[in-house]
Amino acid sequence: MNLSIKNLITFKKTPLNLLVAVIGALLLAAFVAGAVMYFLHGHHAFNVTRQHPWGLLIAMYVFFVVSSTGLCIISSIGHVFGVKEFQQIGKRAIAGAIITILSGFAVIALEIGHPITMLIYNVLTPGLTSAIWWMGTLYGIYLCFILLEFFFLTIKVDHKWSKIFGIGGLLAGLAAHSNLGAVFGFLISRPTANGVFYPVYFILSAMITGCYLIYIIYGFKYRNNYPDHLKAMFLKLNKILGMLLGILIFFEAWKILTALYGTMPERAETIMYAVTSPNFLIGELLLGMLIPFFIILFTNGQAIKPMVYASLTGMIGIFFMRYDLVHDTLVYPMTMLKRSEYQLPPTLLHYFPSPTEMMIGFGGIGITILGLYVAEKVFNLDPDPEH
Amino acid sequence: MKVEISRRRFLQGSVALTVAGGVSMTPASVLASAAKVEDIGKTKIVATLCEMCVNKCAVYAHVKNGIIKKLDPNPYFPKSRNMLCPRGNSGLASIYDEDRLKYPLIRDGEKGSGKFRRATWDEAYAYIGEKLTKILDEEKDNRSTVAFCAGEGMAEHTFKNFYTGFGSAHFLNHASLCLATTVSGYSLTIGGYGQSDLENANYVIMAGANRAEAIVTPDTMDFFKRTKGRGAKLVTVDPRFTNTAAKSDKWLGINVGTDLAFVLALTYVVLKEGIYNKDFVEKHFNDFETYKNHVISNGYTPEWAEKITGINADDIYEVARDFMKHAPQSIYYQGRRTTWSKNDFQLRRAQAIFSALGGGIDIKGGICFGKKIPMEGHEVPSPIYDQSEPRIDSTEAAVVGGSGTWVGFRNKVLEGRAEYPIRALFNYKHNPMQNMPNSKKTEEFLKKLDLVVTIDTMPSDTVMLSDVILPECTYLERTDPAKVYGGIEPAIVQRNKVVDPMYESKPIIDIMRGLTEKISKPLFEITKKYDEEVQDAIKEDGEEATYEEFDLTLAFKQTQEELNHHAVSKHPGAAESLHEKGVFYPNMDKWFKKINVNEYEYYPESEKAYSVRNGKFKTPSGKIECNLSSLTKRGIDAMPTWKKEYEMVIPDGQFRFVTGRHAQFTQSGTANNKMLLDLVPTNYLWINKRVAARMGIKFGDELEVASSVGKTRIKAYPTEKIGLDTVFFIHGFGNYSEELTLAHNNGGRDSNIIEDSIEPMHGATCLHDTIVEIRKV
Amino acid sequence: MARYGMALDYKSCINCRACESACKAENGVLPGRDNYRIWVGQKEIEGQFPKLSISSLTYQPSQCQHCDNAPCQQVCPTNATYYDENGVVRVNPEQCILCTYCINACPYDARYIDDRTVTVDKCNFCSDTRLANGETTTACQATCPTKVRTFGDLDDPNSDISKLLEKREYKQIKEHLGTKPKLFYLL
Ligand SMILES: Nc1nc2c(c(=O)[nH]1)N[C@H]1C(S)=C(S)[C@@H](COP(=O)(O)OP(=O)(O)OC[C@H]3O[C@@H](n4cnc5c(=O)[nH]c(N)nc54)[C@H](O)[C@@H]3O)O[C@H]1N2
Ligand SMILES: Nc1nc2c(c(=O)[nH]1)N[C@H]1C(S)=C(S)[C@@H](COP(=O)(O)OP(=O)(O)OC[C@H]3O[C@@H](n4cnc5c(=O)[nH]c(N)nc54)[C@H](O)[C@@H]3O)O[C@H]1N2
Ligand code: SF4
Ligand code: SF4
Ligand code: SF4
Ligand code: SF4
Ligand code: SF4
Ligand SMILES: [Mo]
Repeated sequence: MNLSIKNLITFKKTPLNLLVAVIGALLLAAFVAGAVMYFLHGHHAFNVTRQHPWGLLIAMYVFFVVSSTGLCIISSIGHVFGVKEFQQIGKRAIAGAIITILSGFAVIALEIGHPITMLIYNVLTPGLTSAIWWMGTLYGIYLCFILLEFFFLTIKVDHKWSKIFGIGGLLAGLAAHSNLGAVFGFLISRPTANGVFYPVYFILSAMITGCYLIYIIYGFKYRNNYPDHLKAMFLKLNKILGMLLGILIFFEAWKILTALYGTMPERAETIMYAVTSPNFLIGELLLGMLIPFFIILFTNGQAIKPMVYASLTGMIGIFFMRYDLVHDTLVYPMTMLKRSEYQLPPTLLHYFPSPTEMMIGFGGIGITILGLYVAEKVFNLDPDPEH
Repeated sequence: MKVEISRRRFLQGSVALTVAGGVSMTPASVLASAAKVEDIGKTKIVATLCEMCVNKCAVYAHVKNGIIKKLDPNPYFPKSRNMLCPRGNSGLASIYDEDRLKYPLIRDGEKGSGKFRRATWDEAYAYIGEKLTKILDEEKDNRSTVAFCAGEGMAEHTFKNFYTGFGSAHFLNHASLCLATTVSGYSLTIGGYGQSDLENANYVIMAGANRAEAIVTPDTMDFFKRTKGRGAKLVTVDPRFTNTAAKSDKWLGINVGTDLAFVLALTYVVLKEGIYNKDFVEKHFNDFETYKNHVISNGYTPEWAEKITGINADDIYEVARDFMKHAPQSIYYQGRRTTWSKNDFQLRRAQAIFSALGGGIDIKGGICFGKKIPMEGHEVPSPIYDQSEPRIDSTEAAVVGGSGTWVGFRNKVLEGRAEYPIRALFNYKHNPMQNMPNSKKTEEFLKKLDLVVTIDTMPSDTVMLSDVILPECTYLERTDPAKVYGGIEPAIVQRNKVVDPMYESKPIIDIMRGLTEKISKPLFEITKKYDEEVQDAIKEDGEEATYEEFDLTLAFKQTQEELNHHAVSKHPGAAESLHEKGVFYPNMDKWFKKINVNEYEYYPESEKAYSVRNGKFKTPSGKIECNLSSLTKRGIDAMPTWKKEYEMVIPDGQFRFVTGRHAQFTQSGTANNKMLLDLVPTNYLWINKRVAARMGIKFGDELEVASSVGKTRIKAYPTEKIGLDTVFFIHGFGNYSEELTLAHNNGGRDSNIIEDSIEPMHGATCLHDTIVEIRKV
Repeated sequence: MARYGMALDYKSCINCRACESACKAENGVLPGRDNYRIWVGQKEIEGQFPKLSISSLTYQPSQCQHCDNAPCQQVCPTNATYYDENGVVRVNPEQCILCTYCINACPYDARYIDDRTVTVDKCNFCSDTRLANGETTTACQATCPTKVRTFGDLDDPNSDISKLLEKREYKQIKEHLGTKPKLFYLL
């Protein structure tokens, strides 16, 4: 560990480093500004409404915890399941998992009206039928586990304990994450979200996110120039990712087909809207799935460098998946009746995040960047020599 | 007065209400102001009456620590049937409106500049006194140079006593802007306007009456529980698809202003097919054959009417036959605001006759006349001033009654055609700037007067053009005259003060007392100067005795509580009941019953006043009058007749404008009400969707609506609920007054664009005869 | 102890919105576009003038359905949403963390955020303003001109509502979701 301030603020001033530093600083500033706006105006600073109560912040929260869970799962391929090539990324991946979930918590703390009350009554009067309660509680446990895991990986190196907490973290993470899926899946009021799809889909997309993030983190660290042992890992990762993307595409296709088949009123309209929107076609489908998938497919899983860039588009795609998940779930109003003579007949709802929401939501990425930077500085995230 | 009879005899005959003994022995409990005892922290409930509109529903006001927290329905009043409409609920926002008039104001700058200075009540009274004596001196005590106008209200009567004592010929109120033609049309034809028994009718034609939105009690409450296949059939005739239309079995989207043709065609069918109530017609119709010939020979066939009204002939046949099938429990509903077009009076006559052809008059399920409960009057002086000239507006229409023709009056003054100058106006609870078409003219009219005194609660557009503004307290802060509401289930009701008046506002009776104390004597001095009769009387009886008959203060000596107590003194227990429950009718203790959470019984079936006339109607012949030949010498048709001039051509690309109500607002008086604006923030122009699309107009677009007399701006509401050549928006918005912070410039102002023509019978205004152009801005 | 519900003779509704203003006054609901516990829904009319479909335009008075099987209650992480002893679905502002999950979960759009407590609010059958004082009607019922609503105890066979539901047919809204709503629309 190296905690000196001097160490913390010195880095090599390459253009890429500078660019990331500036972006990170701007995002952090945005986050703080957004937080101030929120404390001044409460939810009125957001563009959420009675009919569309969730928006960008929930999407970004999901985005972060998906990232966290994904990193946790991918890291566990190595040190939980013992796949050798993956053991070297363990520490960095777990650090990333911790940082991303903290970023997520920072964002959600500004979305939930009363986070302190939450801490109290989550314990005093637990809502055991609530997916949010389980998700929150399990993520709490998850965070404890991966913190301990990280502790035993980097600070007090103890492989037995790190493995135990690693398994615990993985299980808690999987449970928490599928519960997050269930937060949507349990919504009987929302026919497109309701059902088994989201809990399963969440795990799947978490794994994909984990893969993308590993590409990006290592791509950045090694400037796309890898030592052999990493190349071996990436080649495996390519295969895993290719398969995962294949499954995802397959899943999505069936979700869409079943939702459209028979044109069940609310469901079919919502899915029609969802799959014809540019968010889905360009964001989710092209950037998030097809570009990475086809690169893997056409290079037979041999391309590593392009996959770093494909992972960047992939993460943009993942963002749209989160955003659309929230928006598409809520897009169909719970009543299609007019409430006043003087209004247009209700249609699918419009939502576009407010500046404050964007500042908080995207600002959260600044927290992640800062966290990763600090972690790199403070901890040795590369494999220990004996590995 | 150059009449033979002595002035004194004349005087005695002209006491406004019958005399009665003094007021004594009033139990303190009844007189104690309802709001005086306040247990802090506890909720006190005061029974009172709503005055957010004409209906006067019974209310319970919940008061805590001197503040009214909630208004709830009070079940005791048979007319209001335990309900409060949205406006009734929003009375809270009316008493606690920050824009309220708070103290007397005297104009301090150009008229219309909006500049006023705060004055004490005494200053205001003195100012009025000075101006009035000057005017009357200059006009040689012609009292009619001072005009009086008032909106409808429980205390209109109190203000009217001032007018009566003052001796002017000019009283003007809402009648010629509202219901004059239907009241007289039905009265002259069947002997009364009556009450439609919508609780028992089986078939109702509601034409141009929107009871689901323009709320009239108990009609609104009684009827819509029985529509939609639940007992009563409803045919709605309206150029718009209203909420009432949504409740009907049949809706006929008629061309504006063509109802007379529709009714004549209905009449034609039943006469031709002989399906009218022959027994009733035989017994109770006067000049039936003449009317029958008139209708048949003029060829008022459904096919003829179809071309005029836009309603299918088949529909007309069907409605006519169905109506008679259900008769006598069939009603052609009288309607209320019948200020539409030139033929309003004849239309209501035709409706009344058609309704009577089914026999549904003075009978359960038909149009009933009901009963009243007698009350004691109280004496107010009604002196005759020798110099007072007759009304100037009586020449403007065939029959101008005691409430005048407002537009006729205004225009005559403006055009300089008046026989003598009109110099002052006392205005109570009335907003001519909004309620009369062509605001530009009203503004000029108000500016032309030397003295305009307005008694209002809010800084209305008219208030802003007044010279002296006297703030009345709101209805929740005053006790008003007890009043009987006659009908099938009559009752006496009384508004009880709920809380003390806020700021420096006062109830009208206190204002009148203060004002008359200040001005009565000085005005009498003027009369003394010019009135020879008075000079004679003084010589005869001495000044003091003579003055007594001119003493304007006499009508306001007692408190409202005392007057009310006296008014019901013949009914044991009435005063107490009015105080505690706000309502009284004989045997109320015995008859009033709760049937279930929603329903009450007020009178046993056998005691309801369905039939009261015993076969003799209150018309000259005691029968249904088909042929009013006496009217012809005044230029009015004896029988309803369709005229070519009634067919208005709407040029291409232009529209006929109609006005009306929504359930959330009352005329112009609620435009600043926060709670109501929360329900509907502004008014919108109804324009046909297809036409709007053609014109590139979308929902919410800002439009300019212009006519030959003015223009206004309003947002667009494209809808299929209105025809291709008609546009509509509700009345009361687009206020000029900047003091109305929420109402100022909010929405479209219909009084700007409506042309100010009047119909020939009573000089009632024609609000639906204006063609407008529309432009996106 | 009761099980309160409400029957709505909705065909009588004239869409006057008195229930809305009465509820706001009774329960201190703040003005504003999204702030309401009760509302009246209507469809856009079908057809073209003058051939309009009368039946396409009915008014549907609505408020919280006080579901016996309430999704809003099930999803609440802190049990801030609870069934009180009368089966009324209520929110305890002390416990509400404003996650707004319940707003998403309610199939009826019955919930909104109250800006004074900054927690979720909804119709509570006037429990604290009226029922707590021994009153037996709700503000919206009492004020209604055409007496659309009948509020009462579904467990009491002699209550007005029980008697109504015994003799009149009714429909419920989104019944297929299994929410067991306690608002009954009389046919
Ligand atoms: N364009 C158009 N004109 C119309 C109509 C229309 O539909 N369109 N409708 C017509 C009809 S039917 C009528 S009845 C008339 C109504 O016309 P008005 O009799 O003028 O009634 P409001 O427009 O309600 O205005 C009432 C005034 O009384 C004041 N006021 C309210 N309460 C009190 C009180 O307690 N004391 C005092 N002193 N003042 C009070 C209000 O502030 C307001 O200024 O308008 C007619 N004019
Ligand atoms: N909520 C509410 N209730 C009120 C009032 C209020 O201001 N607000 N005011 C009270 C008063 S003072 C009055 S006078 C009454 C008014 O009560 P109503 O007279 O029933 O109501 P309005 O809305 O003035 O007009 C009635 C209808 O006439 C239609 N109409 C226009 N032109 C024609 C035509 O040529 N033929 C036919 N058949 N219909 C036509 C309009 O579209 C409108 O729907 O309401 C009383 N009740
Ligand atoms: S109808 Fe409404 S505004 Fe009119 S008196 Fe009744 S409650 Fe008041
Ligand atoms: S108060 Fe009654 S009639 Fe009016 S909108 Fe509400 S439910 Fe309908
Ligand atoms: S209607 Fe909505 S808020 Fe009310 S109980 Fe049912 S789910 Fe909950
Ligand atoms: S917003 Fe409040 S009441 Fe609703 S689910 Fe969250 S904690 Fe429960
Ligand atoms: S029951 Fe009470 S809280 Fe619920 S909508 Fe009616 S008035 Fe409002
Ligand atoms: Mo009127």
